[in-house]
Amino acid sequence: MSNADKLLLQRLNELKKERQPERDLWRGIELGLTRQDEGAVDSAVINEHGVSQAVFASKGAWAVAAASAVVCSMLWFLTPIGNPSASQSADMLVNAPGLTHNDGSVNNYELVEAQSVQQRQYITGLLARYETTPALTKDWQQQLNELDTAADAIKAALKEDPDNSALIKMLHHVYQQQIALVERVHAPKWQQI
Amino acid sequence: MEQGHQRICCDSAVFTAKPQSEVIADVKAGSKYAFKTLYEQHIGRVYALCYRLTGDKCLAEDASQEVFIQLWRKIGNYDGNSQFSTWLHSVTANVTITYMRKQRSWFQRMLNIETSGIREPVAPQETSDNDLDRHIRALPERARLVFVLYAVEGYRHEEIASMLNMAVGSSKAQLHRARGLLKKAMGCTDE
Repeated sequence: MSNADKLLLQRLNELKKERQPERDLWRGIELGLTRQDEGAVDSAVINEHGVSQAVFASKGAWAVAAASAVVCSMLWFLTPIGNPSASQSADMLVNAPGLTHNDGSVNNYELVEAQSVQQRQYITGLLARYETTPALTKDWQQQLNELDTAADAIKAALKEDPDNSALIKMLHHVYQQQIALVERVHAPKWQQI
Repeated sequence: MEQGHQRICCDSAVFTAKPQSEVIADVKAGSKYAFKTLYEQHIGRVYALCYRLTGDKCLAEDASQEVFIQLWRKIGNYDGNSQFSTWLHSVTANVTITYMRKQRSWFQRMLNIETSGIREPVAPQETSDNDLDRHIRALPERARLVFVLYAVEGYRHEEIASMLNMAVGSSKAQLHRARGLLKKAMGCTDE
């Protein structure tokens, strides 16, 4: 056995057997069990040897939220971001005090609602600002509506699981995309040079 | 809901003192209080395995939840012939792999892209980690899965090949690849 193998083996033996998740997973599990009791959870087969043949069919709001996230990711990756102020504006929203941090005393979903209202106001202001500026594409409003639908789906999922950090991140991402979209079609980078 | 949640928290404390076999029997009888105890006893190891397999915190959290939801449904299949933790680890590995496969194929369908085009997720660095844990998360997916199952969890290549739908030879090759990459990442090479 080489020294490299010995070192690898030593590191392997030092690996921690346990790791605690950063967020409370029990709440989501409890919700899953409740849904299961209601017969709404997908079927799965785990045989006596623990071999799972789980069939993960659609999981309601989760799947919709995930779909929305992919739509947003596609937009994010396929379209170059021309205006850095878009992400700055969204960051401003995302990092607004009291909106993203949960101290346990505040209902996260209420914060999500508040953030949603704030986002709507910001977008309305943005649209008013660009009212006289011609848009570069014709279907931007449809894209904006699709992002709205995505945000609604994620919010619906958050209503069930308000502490889900992945969903909160997705929602923030969708909001960023909305701002980026409006700014991009009205004030592309080449026009600002 | 909140009241119910608190009640489960309080009542689950009663089950903490019970032997595990009795807790399992209570879970089989439909006690969610007992199930909460089982969750508290095993979430650390389940999550650790999910995290090593997925290499991603969010995926690991989701997979861990899925493991316990499936466990609630199928705990009746546990016959007590093996250690419960061993059986649960097997369930965890299989549910997580299925979950990852499902996620991947869903993304592929949505984006219509080939596997080779997907960038491997870059795991964030966590200071509490063993260096090896960080290097494992940075491995390509198949190499990571094989390495974790073989070297960390102690599965045989035949079992891994069956779990991952690959040839035994591929499992061995991926393990060799993973070891090479890990040694390189740790700054040491074979003499």
